[in-house]
Amino acid sequence: MRALVRIVSWFYAVAIYGFIFLPVVVLVLFSLQATSFPIPPFTGPSLRWYDAVLADTRLTSALVNSLLVAALSSAAAVTLGFLSAWGFARFALPGSALLRGLITLPLTVSYLIIGMGLLVLFNWAGIPKSLLAAGIGHVVINLPLCFAIIYSQMGDHQINIERAARDLGAPEWKVLLLITVPVMAPAIFAGFFLSMTFSWDEFVISFLLTRFDTTLPVEIWNLLRSGLNPKTNAVGSLVFAVSIVLVVFFELMLLRRKPA
Amino acid sequence: MNSATNSGRALPRAGSALPRAGRALPWALVTPALGWTLLFFVLPFVAMGFSSLTAHDGGGFTLANYSQFFTNQAYWQAMVNSLQVTAIVTVISVLLAYPFAWILAEQVPERWQRLALMLAVLPFWTSYVVRSYSWLLVLAQNGVINRALTGSGLFSEPLQLANTRLATVIGFVHFFVMLLTLTIFANLKQLSPSYRKAAADLGAGPVRTFLHVVLPLTLPGIMVGAFLTFVLCIGDYITPQILGGNNELLMPQLVMMQIGRRGDFPLASALSIILMAVVTIAYLACARWLKIERA
Amino acid sequence: MTINPNTWNPTTKQPLSVLKRYLHAACAATALLLATGSFARAADLNALIWCDHADPALLQPFEEANGVKVNVKEFEGTGAGMAIVEQSQPGDWDVMVIDSIDIPRGVEKGLFEPLPEDKLPLADLFPQVKLDNYTVVDGKRYGITEKFGYNTIGYNKTKVDPADMQSLAALTGDKYKGKIAIYDYYLPVIGMAALAIGKKTTELTEADLPAIKQELLSMKANAKLVGEVTASQTALATGEVDILVGGGEWVTAGLAKENPALDFSIPREGAVLWSQSLAMFKDSKNKDTALKFIQYIMSPEGQARLATSACYWGMPANTKAALSDEQKKILRFDEQPDFLARAQPYPAPDADLDKKMQDVWTEMLQAQ
Repeated sequence: MRALVRIVSWFYAVAIYGFIFLPVVVLVLFSLQATSFPIPPFTGPSLRWYDAVLADTRLTSALVNSLLVAALSSAAAVTLGFLSAWGFARFALPGSALLRGLITLPLTVSYLIIGMGLLVLFNWAGIPKSLLAAGIGHVVINLPLCFAIIYSQMGDHQINIERAARDLGAPEWKVLLLITVPVMAPAIFAGFFLSMTFSWDEFVISFLLTRFDTTLPVEIWNLLRSGLNPKTNAVGSLVFAVSIVLVVFFELMLLRRKPA
Repeated sequence: MNSATNSGRALPRAGSALPRAGRALPWALVTPALGWTLLFFVLPFVAMGFSSLTAHDGGGFTLANYSQFFTNQAYWQAMVNSLQVTAIVTVISVLLAYPFAWILAEQVPERWQRLALMLAVLPFWTSYVVRSYSWLLVLAQNGVINRALTGSGLFSEPLQLANTRLATVIGFVHFFVMLLTLTIFANLKQLSPSYRKAAADLGAGPVRTFLHVVLPLTLPGIMVGAFLTFVLCIGDYITPQILGGNNELLMPQLVMMQIGRRGDFPLASALSIILMAVVTIAYLACARWLKIERA
Repeated sequence: MTINPNTWNPTTKQPLSVLKRYLHAACAATALLLATGSFARAADLNALIWCDHADPALLQPFEEANGVKVNVKEFEGTGAGMAIVEQSQPGDWDVMVIDSIDIPRGVEKGLFEPLPEDKLPLADLFPQVKLDNYTVVDGKRYGITEKFGYNTIGYNKTKVDPADMQSLAALTGDKYKGKIAIYDYYLPVIGMAALAIGKKTTELTEADLPAIKQELLSMKANAKLVGEVTASQTALATGEVDILVGGGEWVTAGLAKENPALDFSIPREGAVLWSQSLAMFKDSKNKDTALKFIQYIMSPEGQARLATSACYWGMPANTKAALSDEQKKILRFDEQPDFLARAQPYPAPDADLDKKMQDVWTEMLQAQ
């Protein structure tokens, strides 16, 4: 019985992994296609489409834009999220549950609707479309996430450490910087990391709120609309590579901090 | 959104936690986040609400944009399609993800679990736009799947996979299986082994233990994941646009069509608000599982 | 700070303006920040374009020769383009690519600047695509046609009988059921449906819509998908379908190298002529550069690069375009006089009919 469960489990897991990896394998394989259609038969390997991507300044600058928007909006989201989480966890504020609900509310709304709302608002106020506008949208979607993660990790033992520091005469800002931030570092990192992920891959808000300079997903969408070619595969594979580098980077940062 | 609902703890009283704090500090901490949310989330809603009550080509307040939705069959059909697709995707994703999460949590040795999870998440580090596009390549008439099926002699004719609702569903399920696996896995790992031991001590077999102990205890994780799936799926434009072949329209496509083709913001706002209302109903239905608590 | 005059009519302003004032106060700092963040440098040329103009091979020679940067924003459809302009500040944009037939719409809104005819190669243009009845308003020229082509039947000549492609009836018959894709843009395909039922594209009225809808639904019943450029192009190129309704040289020419079996026909009933023009904005702060840009695009070299742009190919409006013989053959350059004689212009509905046409289109998409 137990052996049977094991065998079935193995088959099932392999099938799911196969399903999950299928499009990625096809994507990467046909990025090496030598001819203009990324469908079988495979005619490569060739790196011509990677050359084409790297020569395309719109794509490369969009990649830089994406990293910039992701990093800055995540930093803003995690800062706002951390401060408010600390405020709500440490102090009894009137209407706290309601206000916490308000901060997490955007989690329950589709990105399309958030983007639409900002578009209408900015339109109305005469605020031009830009990367900064998209970044504001990304903070809106990531702030509740950062808040929820950090707030859920603020337990009583952190309070005790903070109290000890205060009893020893540390002023509030010192408690915050020297005690709370280091103690909460894993949650802060997790929030930042997740925000980066969502911002890096976000399409519809950036699509609605940017003008000339735009983020990579939007530029890829433009590329896609202009015709089918393995260049899209190549840029997709490159994004994949960049993402993996980022993941490994963050993993190492998180792992190194773990023993503490 | 956190699945840790079973061990919520009361908020520590301000007095005991912070005897020396003034009144200004706590508000200074929470105001930036609250202000941001009000300014860039609540206010846009209000603006959208006003916008939805105006007409594209001028004129006073009107309900025409809403009546357009309810009277034109092609418009509300988009909502029906969206709900159908979202329901199918959510159910299939949960059914596929649960056993997978269970295998990862129970059958895979502890030291390999992290790697196994990483592997499952890895493909989602490709760009989300590109992922839908690569499904198109996989499912196309001459794509990998059809080549394999006809090449192996299983089918003489290639199957119509791309540009159908099925393709949209596959594209969605691909992403949400990963998402649900993560939430359910986290939930399974949080279960204390003592529950299962207690059930076994009381004479329950593995199947009964699963049905009466494990499954009910992981229900919150499933609900959180299912709700996330619902919200993300019903608001997604890319997947149906790339994979569905426009053989039917879903709500986000209808919204984007108003903006992209005609610049009709009032109608797009009205459609967004209707979509929002549906999501809110779903939220209320799941609200009891979606509380955020401190560990 | 301008408010979109269409969306925000003065009669509705009372309650709105209160909120707006509040909003302005709340957003003032942000607006300032955003404005500085996105402010275009003075030497930049801001162009509102279709995807063919985004090709670096087209833009780079101009940028290098003139030491300017061309910022481009892509859009689809005049309605969306106008919406972008209305959301912008005066002077944000310098040039625009627009359907030739929609130039009067822009002129009516007071957007465009007359172009100096003596500085443009008007004499070299194919006479049929100058479309003076649209591009010239009140005796002033506001646009110049840069590229054109046909929305007609694109097909794979090894899979279908080319003789069948000489009639639009093939699209609604049973023979090619499930082998058809429809290009997802309502105006040209509605134009084709009009031709199929014997109407002139320039004379369509609301009364014609039921019959057109019927024709569209018959096409849809035969169709495997209704796709944007990529999806329909992919479907045709990969053999998913054999016929593309609304296709033409803009689909087949760019793919000729990869798949020489792709071709297009101008059926008996005629085809829809698409034609894109360049226009300059009245409020442009860089009118000299804008004119230089238009001159560059209209030059034989610019025309050749535009005609063979990565996004889609099309016929250059300038007969002297510096195309190679092979490129001319792919574009069927020499057959143009005959094609042009049988083509009819894009439908040019007014705002009301336009909305109704889009609703018909939405219903077609939604039909099972």
